[in-house]
Amino acid sequence: MSPDPMLSAVDVSRDYPLRRDAVHAVRGVSLEVARGEYVAIVGPSGCGKSTLLNLLGAIDRPTGGRILLDGRDVTTLGDREATDLRLRHIGFVFQRFYLMPMLTAAENIELPMAEAGAAKAPRRARVRELLEYVGLGERAGHRPSELSGGEQQRVAIARALANAPSLLLADEPTGELDAKTGHEIIDLFARLNAEGMTLLVVTHDAALARAARRTVHMLDGRVVDDGTP
Amino acid sequence: MREMRLPLLTCLAAACALATTAGAQGVPAAAPLRTIAVDERLVEDAGIRIGDTISLAARAGGPTTRAIVGAITRRGADPSEVARRDYKIRLHLTQLQELVAYEDRVDRFAVLATAGNADSARDAINAQGFGFRAHLSKDVAVQTSQTFAVISRFNRAIGVISIVASAIFLLCIMLLKVEERRRDVAALRLLGISSRTIWRAVVLEASCIALLGSGFGLVFGLVVSRLINAHYQEVYRTPLLFSLLTPGTVAFAIALSVVLGIGAGGLAARRLTRRPPLSLLGR
Repeated sequence: MSPDPMLSAVDVSRDYPLRRDAVHAVRGVSLEVARGEYVAIVGPSGCGKSTLLNLLGAIDRPTGGRILLDGRDVTTLGDREATDLRLRHIGFVFQRFYLMPMLTAAENIELPMAEAGAAKAPRRARVRELLEYVGLGERAGHRPSELSGGEQQRVAIARALANAPSLLLADEPTGELDAKTGHEIIDLFARLNAEGMTLLVVTHDAALARAARRTVHMLDGRVVDDGTP
Repeated sequence: MREMRLPLLTCLAAACALATTAGAQGVPAAAPLRTIAVDERLVEDAGIRIGDTISLAARAGGPTTRAIVGAITRRGADPSEVARRDYKIRLHLTQLQELVAYEDRVDRFAVLATAGNADSARDAINAQGFGFRAHLSKDVAVQTSQTFAVISRFNRAIGVISIVASAIFLLCIMLLKVEERRRDVAALRLLGISSRTIWRAVVLEASCIALLGSGFGLVFGLVVSRLINAHYQEVYRTPLLFSLLTPGTVAFAIALSVVLGIGAGGLAARRLTRRPPLSLLGR
């Protein structure tokens, strides 16, 4: 048991019904993540890592069990509340970046803050601060198509940090990047964690998993090992 | 002065009371030549100028009379005249009577009534039983324009079909365009952007596209309309407008396109925002 669990999953399962049977993507997973922890979830393809991440991030709803974020049961939230929770309390980083192609780097970062109702001046200041933080201060006006993969992922990380979330979830954040740019992202995550950010990363990347302080191994929808790498 | 000889194809009496009175006494052979008004098409085709003397005959090889071209008449924007290939010459009534040997027989003549008295004048004439019927010019116009009323309805039907087809086309395009943005919408939902914000953004974008499209359509329509008018006015040598873009038509087109854009965008956005974000990503 973590001393200060920020995120708790209690006997969580997720089944996808088929015509006669069901796919059991996640089977009775229990997990606790303390504030300021850096956790990597690893395992073979199809073992349920991404499904678990989606459940923990209130993107998907479990078919069984409970998930508590800062003591709040996120499994009972309606679509609107879950969306608001994701906007204000959870940052997401995806393998394919999912930046808006018609917006500049700065506008992509500004988007969640605008949705959260932040005023324009502090919003712009925060965008500059985040761009500097991820080392892209000079690329504010560039569109995603004008940025490299590593730069796009750094913009996506800055966007995930825009509303100062308490938890950052990343699904294969280095999956589309070469080794060098992947290392830049690993370093960035390490820096974020060192500054107190709670990180939960799903990855196949051994280097990224090694950078985490704790590694959770999954197989066939179950946690089979939970410990330091 | 040039002299020309032309077979008279059609004669239109410029009926006036003064000419009728003078014609009753006949025109002496040695009398000075009378002036006539000639159709601009004839002027153009035969190279006639004002002041030219021309010979007129009711039929080829028939008796002729000479006259001086005193005026050129322009064709009015009359749909019933568009397809007519014949020429028109306006003669004094006496000269016309002499030329066609109809004496004082006429098929039709017009009576100018004072304002507000047309109905009573018609009724009074018909009550006398002269052997002909009097009609109001507006009734004659309505009767003779029945063909154009049918064509107008036909055009309207084509217009309605075009609009309905365009609406369906616009809806399909909008659904496809929004469907192309499936991944973007899914990403926005994952990041915590509300369905309402996404719906509003899509509808705003659709409205802008519809407005822009109607602007382009308007310019295109204006250009095509002018080209059509220029072409057919040249072909039929008439000032008649074949394609008409009225402010009402323009307002209707813009309003319709915006309404359709909003409707199609709203419908397409609703389809997307109601689906879970993971399903939009195909997971």
